[in-house]
Amino acid sequence: MSQSQRVPLRKRVRVKTLLLALLSVWLLVLFLTLLLDQARDWPTATVGDALLERNAETASANAVTSVVVSYRGFDTLGEVTVLFLAATGIGLLFSAPRPPSEPAAAESEIAAAPPNEMMITGIRLLFPVLLLLGVYIVLHGHLSPGGGFQGGVVIATAFFLRMLADPDFRLDHTRLGALESLSGSGFVLIGLLGLALVSTGTFLGNFLPHPVASMGQLLSAGVIPLVYALVGVKVGAEVGAIFQDMRET
Amino acid sequence: MLEFLDSPSVLHGLHTIGSLTLFAVGLYGLLGKRHLLKVFISLALMELAVYLLFIALATTPGETAPILSDGLTAFVGMADPVPQALTLTAIVIGMAVLALGVSLAIRYHRLSASADIRTLADAKD
Amino acid sequence: MEFSASPVWFIALPLLAAFSAPLWTRWHLLDHLLFGVPLVLLILALGLFPTVHEAPLLETIVIAPPLGIHLHLDSASLLLVTLFCFAVTLVAAFLWLGATDSHLRGRRPFVLILLLLVGGNGLVLTGDLFNLYVFLEIAGVSAYVLSALRDDRPALEAGLKYLIIGSVAALFFLLAVVLVYLQTGQLNLAAVAREFAAIPPAMQGLIALLMLIGLGIKSELFPFNFWVPDVYRGSDPAVTALFSGLLVKAFLFVLVHLAVLIWADPAVARVWLMTLGALTLIVAELAALRQDDMRRMLAYSSLGQIGLIMLALGFFSETTTAGAFFHMINHTLVKLLLFLVAALLLRRCLSLRLEDLAGAARVSPLAAGLFVVGALGVLGLPPFGGFMSKLWMLQGFAEAQRIWPIALILFAALIEAGYYFRWIRVLYAPVAPAASADTKTTPEPWAAYAPLLLIAGLMLLLGVAPFLLETSVVEAAHALLDRDLTLQSVLGVAQ
Repeated sequence: MSQSQRVPLRKRVRVKTLLLALLSVWLLVLFLTLLLDQARDWPTATVGDALLERNAETASANAVTSVVVSYRGFDTLGEVTVLFLAATGIGLLFSAPRPPSEPAAAESEIAAAPPNEMMITGIRLLFPVLLLLGVYIVLHGHLSPGGGFQGGVVIATAFFLRMLADPDFRLDHTRLGALESLSGSGFVLIGLLGLALVSTGTFLGNFLPHPVASMGQLLSAGVIPLVYALVGVKVGAEVGAIFQDMRET
Repeated sequence: MLEFLDSPSVLHGLHTIGSLTLFAVGLYGLLGKRHLLKVFISLALMELAVYLLFIALATTPGETAPILSDGLTAFVGMADPVPQALTLTAIVIGMAVLALGVSLAIRYHRLSASADIRTLADAKD
Repeated sequence: MEFSASPVWFIALPLLAAFSAPLWTRWHLLDHLLFGVPLVLLILALGLFPTVHEAPLLETIVIAPPLGIHLHLDSASLLLVTLFCFAVTLVAAFLWLGATDSHLRGRRPFVLILLLLVGGNGLVLTGDLFNLYVFLEIAGVSAYVLSALRDDRPALEAGLKYLIIGSVAALFFLLAVVLVYLQTGQLNLAAVAREFAAIPPAMQGLIALLMLIGLGIKSELFPFNFWVPDVYRGSDPAVTALFSGLLVKAFLFVLVHLAVLIWADPAVARVWLMTLGALTLIVAELAALRQDDMRRMLAYSSLGQIGLIMLALGFFSETTTAGAFFHMINHTLVKLLLFLVAALLLRRCLSLRLEDLAGAARVSPLAAGLFVVGALGVLGLPPFGGFMSKLWMLQGFAEAQRIWPIALILFAALIEAGYYFRWIRVLYAPVAPAASADTKTTPEPWAAYAPLLLIAGLMLLLGVAPFLLETSVVEAAHALLDRDLTLQSVLGVAQ
């Protein structure tokens, strides 16, 4: 009886799949005709070009960084906030005790497969290099490709590798939380300082001296490297905390 | 032989076709797949398609990265920096939401031993 | 630059408080700050009314529009920001005074609620399209986590469902933003509005459709709102009070604001928005009739009221829009009251199903009484504010000689009366309350009722003296609908 019921069900699913595929393809064709029609004449005078022309005033050699941190720094503040929210939520979900019905199967799996010698040695060699690379990427965000987000993730990955190599390695949650809140508050406070000082008068204004002559040097572009360093610390701490949360469970 | 690829309209057309195909694949997965992780993968695919479309269409062939280095001295002939900055922001946001979603799915799977989106959709009191 | 009066504070202050949460945890200041921060902002907002009455405040961030991001504080956004701060203050007071469950106390809910306020404020204040997307995600992500806060199966289901649907909405909105930038090269709302007419018509339609889908999902309009009751059912009533009172209002405002800005001629948008509003109203009210769970019933009722507000806002006439703003305020008050009453009843009776609530008025007479007050407020009966706001909307439609919206609104009110009286009758049923009810006989502290009584008092005040709000509401409607004024005040600065 179950067999006779199952066949029409499977049939129905197949029809549904077909319809869905057709729908997707139809939408695709619709979009394509619309967009390909327009693809020839994208405008040349965009906000970005205007910003690029003015970019010398920020004294940052990397125009993307000056857009991310300075001109559209407010977006970046929001983005850091979303990451903070996600880390808070993940912490909430994984801090709860495991339901009693579930056996601790995952843990026995981890115990059954200890990290091998290759990995331990390799990670011991890689860890300082990765850390250095992350710090370099964060600090040179206004000079070369990279910046707080990229560098922060590299730093967090270095710690994640440590976790893989050493089952007893733990990141201290209170310390991570302190770092996170310190860098986040620092970001907002720098923004408010820009608002309070007469020389800039806007939220997130660049109140430190940023002479154009120093463009290309490590100490240039005023608050931009400072803000990016804070973003790097915050992203590193948050992604690290997410790794730690997911691993603890 | 492949010079015609350098003309902006051909290149932009190819980018459009590619990223929109990715979008359609994601849309199909979102509507058709039942496993929660597959749904999240489809969402990530669609997001990726949007980023790709943005970056590809906002840059014309021949422009350099908007960074002063390797002897460049002025900000001319460079790609528009705003789409790159916006995409960076959007990628981080997308990553955060995805991580949260996967964590919710893992937790839900622990509590209900199910990762099927249909049990989710049929959930009543 | 007036340092104290900057609209940046509405975003920066709660953000700062949320980021430094570990400090407040250590000093045991979480409850005080969760109440204090929105209260300070509420006072600031009230203090800004005279300034904004003169001219809208424009706060440039780093670089002047149309190149950079700016915050635009006009009468409409100020009214909504005031409302949001007030709603969060009340919910915080409720959480602080009523000894609520542990999952609503502590560092994480503190962070989430404050960031929900940041998201709502940012949505109505920002004048930049991509920044709007960022705030949409902030409000969204905090809402996803808030609905999963209780961490049991229904709550996780609600959170997952909300997250998937909300991400799809955000994705569609992002695609619309990308297409706008590729077409016009602008991100500032006023600049986009100026250039939008130059976009080819087919592309205009696509962008508008994508925005309508994205924001329609977020603001819970009819074809996109199938997920709402499940989310409201799974989340805590105190949290859903914020969703219904704060979040949806912010998205409704954004939807109408964008529709006004990008179309110089509102005729197209009017047809779409009014149809969606009317459908939402009627479908939700009909569905509410059959609900056996108080949270679901309230969710459908909230949807119905949102449809009503959309119907009036989408008509784009000054009278109906003023009425809609007034109704937004009333609806926020009523739904805060009803959801918080539901939270109290849930704690007392351990269930919000219709059969379990029979005779609940004997166990907690004050909560049942407040439910009756809230129900009368939703229906729009005379002593309460809802009466005046519905009257204004009806007057607006009557002035324009539109009969069908009037008939629809009155019909919906009739259905509402049907199901609210059903619930009231059950609450006051002459049967002994269910056995589960008296197992937990610890009486509520009187302080827990203080915020609810305050809301009831305000509803009464607004019904008796609607002229208190009249000027600000009319100004808000004017600011929302006057496209040229917005364009001039934003782009005039740049030149």
